Amino acid sequence: MIFVVAEHKDNKLRPITSELLVFGQRVARDFGEPITAVILGSSTGDLAGELKTRKIDRVLRAEHAGLAEYNPDTYVQVLQSILNKDKPFLVLMGHTTQGMDFAPRLAVRLCGPLISGCVEYEKQGERLILTRQIFNAKMNMKTLVRGEPPYFATASPGAFPGDEVESGGNAEVIVFPVQLTGTPKRKILNRVEAPKGQTDLSSAPIIVSGGRGLKQKENFNLIFELAEAIGGSVGASRPVVDAEWLPREYQVGSSGQTVSPRLYIAVGISGAIQHLVGMQTSRCIVAINKDPEAPIFKVAHYGIVDDLFKVVPALTKIFKDLRQA
Amino acid sequence: MKEKHGGEVAVISLGGEEAARVLRSSLAMGADRAIHLLDPKFKDSDEFASAAALAKAIEKDGGADLLLAGVQSDDLGSGTTGTMMAEFLGWAHATVVVGVQVQPDTKSLQVQRELEGGINETVELTLPAVLTIQFGINQPRYASLRGIMAAKKKEFKVWSAADLGLADNAVGRAGAAYDVKEILVPERKSRVEVISGTPEEAAAKLVEKLRKEAKVI
Repeated sequence: MIFVVAEHKDNKLRPITSELLVFGQRVARDFGEPITAVILGSSTGDLAGELKTRKIDRVLRAEHAGLAEYNPDTYVQVLQSILNKDKPFLVLMGHTTQGMDFAPRLAVRLCGPLISGCVEYEKQGERLILTRQIFNAKMNMKTLVRGEPPYFATASPGAFPGDEVESGGNAEVIVFPVQLTGTPKRKILNRVEAPKGQTDLSSAPIIVSGGRGLKQKENFNLIFELAEAIGGSVGASRPVVDAEWLPREYQVGSSGQTVSPRLYIAVGISGAIQHLVGMQTSRCIVAINKDPEAPIFKVAHYGIVDDLFKVVPALTKIFKDLRQA
Repeated sequence: MKEKHGGEVAVISLGGEEAARVLRSSLAMGADRAIHLLDPKFKDSDEFASAAALAKAIEKDGGADLLLAGVQSDDLGSGTTGTMMAEFLGWAHATVVVGVQVQPDTKSLQVQRELEGGINETVELTLPAVLTIQFGINQPRYASLRGIMAAKKKEFKVWSAADLGLADNAVGRAGAAYDVKEILVPERKSRVEVISGTPEEAAAKLVEKLRKEAKVI
């Protein structure tokens, strides 16, 4: 049995859930294992109904007032009792702040290998090979899990195409009787959205983003100048924000803003998966980077492989001239 | 935290000479003592085996109130070791932490976690607890010359797998939960159209394409 742990928020399935189902459906096809989607929460009826239409075999609803909010203690406890009742082969979770918060605990508790941040999967003979990215997505590592199942994996957001999830199933929906024991060691107090300030990029039609390739804070002027000449907004990759060249509200990516502008120009951004998931649905993506192997070129439509310190001023000049014309 | 609430700061690491260097520089920056898990048998350990050995060492050392780890490493970046240690120890934990407030009266912590989409979550944890700390939460202190000199007199324990009572098949490659089959440069299934020429030519061609072909400006 392949288990997919659904992730949801505000009574909606999160995009990672479809991506996990695609991952699960591919493994199911190759290994002939059935799929169970597990959804934990306090009111999961609608979402279970949605999961049921996917091409899977079973939906397990673990429903309890104590599961209204995500908590690693309750999640691990419930998942452990679910998995103990079955013969799990592979348990799939999101490589998200939620999935990564409980997956390592679950794997250790059930004494199974955990491959985190999977981007690819293949079957070799009878063995399961899971590929994860290392060295900030510059290299891939193929891993062979050891020992008897269950095996655990978290999937990188964006690595599996959620829109390719197969529908047409009529899975059985089963309510799993939840018993929670003990007091959780973690208590959720509140959640606040960080102020977006003047840089709500979610509706910007044109974004020019800069990355570590700019080398130092002062050079970010090149990005502001190009953005101004083209009439766009400014964004940044995580390393820029970590280095405090720009405040966090400029950050595009999984821990920053998700954007989908008409035109996205990535300057000196190598394109770690965390950045790509935040901008890869942009209509037109331009990458300017001197490293032809940079992952950003994988999602770009147009690329210039050259020194950004020469290309960007040239671009700015053309746009300025166009504006004056 | 020590300056505000008292206590002692110990640093622990599993690895070879590079781990010893990190421990020594941590002592120079002000940590009180160090534990180095050093043994050729630890070689090629994965996250599972490393977390088990580190947790064992912390128990042998008499436990702690708080264990701080990083969210993920720069190299393998699996983001699992800290949380696995919490499970081995049976402690509370929180990942991707960007802020910590100690509540000494209730033996608990309030911590802020960074979630997707710019959302910060505040949670309360009972101690002992493990936190995985997000990059950039603090500015590391410089090691002063005095600190470097003082570090030489501080306690520096070196423990082997046998010291921790760990069997040969529980450590290193033998204790790992998976094998590394291959490390390779990823294939790029690219749709990108690379624009050539001098920077000025390429810039001009790009603008032309954005206007006429993609029609986005």
